[in-house]
Amino acid sequence: MDYILSIIPQMLMGTVDTLKLFFVTIVLSIPLGIFLAMGRVSAFKWLRSAISGYVWLLRGTPLMLQLLFVYYGLPFIPVIGIRMDDFPAAVLAFVLNYAAYFCEIFRAGIQSIPVGQYEAARTLGMNYSQTMRRIVLPQVFKIILPPVSNETITLVKDTSLIYVLAMNDLLRTTRNLVQRDFNIMPFLVAAVFYLVMTLFLTYMFNRLEKRFSRYD
Amino acid sequence: MKKIEAKQIYKNFQDLQVLKGIDLEVGEGEVVAVIGPSGSGKSTLLRCLNKLETINSGTIIIDGETLVSTTAAGQVQYAPGNESIRIATKMGMVFQQFNLFPHMTVLENLIEAPVHVQKRPVAEATRDAEALLQKVGLLEKRDVYPRRLSGGQQQRVAIARALAMHPDIMLFDEPTSSLDPELTGEVLKTMRNLAEENMTMVVVTHEMGFAKEVARKVIFMADGIVQEQGTPVEIFEHPHNERLQAFLKSILK
Repeated sequence: MDYILSIIPQMLMGTVDTLKLFFVTIVLSIPLGIFLAMGRVSAFKWLRSAISGYVWLLRGTPLMLQLLFVYYGLPFIPVIGIRMDDFPAAVLAFVLNYAAYFCEIFRAGIQSIPVGQYEAARTLGMNYSQTMRRIVLPQVFKIILPPVSNETITLVKDTSLIYVLAMNDLLRTTRNLVQRDFNIMPFLVAAVFYLVMTLFLTYMFNRLEKRFSRYD
Repeated sequence: MKKIEAKQIYKNFQDLQVLKGIDLEVGEGEVVAVIGPSGSGKSTLLRCLNKLETINSGTIIIDGETLVSTTAAGQVQYAPGNESIRIATKMGMVFQQFNLFPHMTVLENLIEAPVHVQKRPVAEATRDAEALLQKVGLLEKRDVYPRRLSGGQQQRVAIARALAMHPDIMLFDEPTSSLDPELTGEVLKTMRNLAEENMTMVVVTHEMGFAKEVARKVIFMADGIVQEQGTPVEIFEHPHNERLQAFLKSILK
């Protein structure tokens, strides 16, 4: 017990890094996903194809590979070669990757709204942006809540991939403690930490779903 | 004064010719019923009037303002963006599937466009909406979500929502076709009341009773053209056109 208490401060420090990456990724990738989805259903064929290509590329390769590429590969690309610190590199890779998943979720959501909703909005004089903001997207949010909740929970666990960039997130901190102390207890504590985070998210999404179900 | 003047309307969906030179005139306060077999193009005609569909040729003048015209060279010219929206929204529309906004209460459905499109103050739009709900007999449902209402109630809310924009003309696209028979009465009654207040109305319908009793003019369409038009008595009692005679026989069976 004393041992567990003694490692908790360090593990909390690691959790802070994990949560930072998690929040920045969510805050940036969801809006980006919405914009991509709107482009994906737009009238412009070139835009639709470009976004499908993007989604195919980002969903079709491992996130770990994308992470390594952004951090180690980008500096060697001629002309745009940029060298990033580990945190911004991780954010870039995670946002690009998760935006592709969110794009597909939102696209499916937008396409499930009946065309009659757009027509009703149009006969009432609403323009495209009013129709999207006030009529379509609020209904989409309700539909996509379960898959978004799923992605979000996956993201909590995926953050552990930054292990490969030698960042001291929760997983790497844990691993260091295990090696230092020859004790596997930190693994169990880490599992509890992850479980608490996902439990909290599950609870929040359940509350949201309940709120949105008021018009059923 | 003519509220709607449509001349020589042609409309294709790819290779399919749906409207083949339709003329339609609707005077102020007039109720026009458009009847005909399904696939005759009557809903498409209605949807062309408020630009839910764009036409391939012809002229549409709403309340003296040109929504679309066609040059001698066959070039279709719509009024520029905002203008055509302004002209098209002089007409309120009621759909077969109601198309209420499911995430908004009845009252929110009614004030959405007055507040966000016409920029009227919420309090004023709310008063207005409540008066309209009173009129369609649904004031006590103001804070209910549409899914909790019967089809007939939803359609009455949809009528009130269209009226909340103070349209000059109301278009009804088969307003009772997706309702259970026992619910059509309440919707038809609401429409009848509206007709008695001298609202200009174009009603695409399968309700021959309504066409007979409320319409001043009945238009029979088949195969994308107006086969015959006239007063209800002329159309229902003394039909000349063979298609119309066959149509009336088939629905009376």
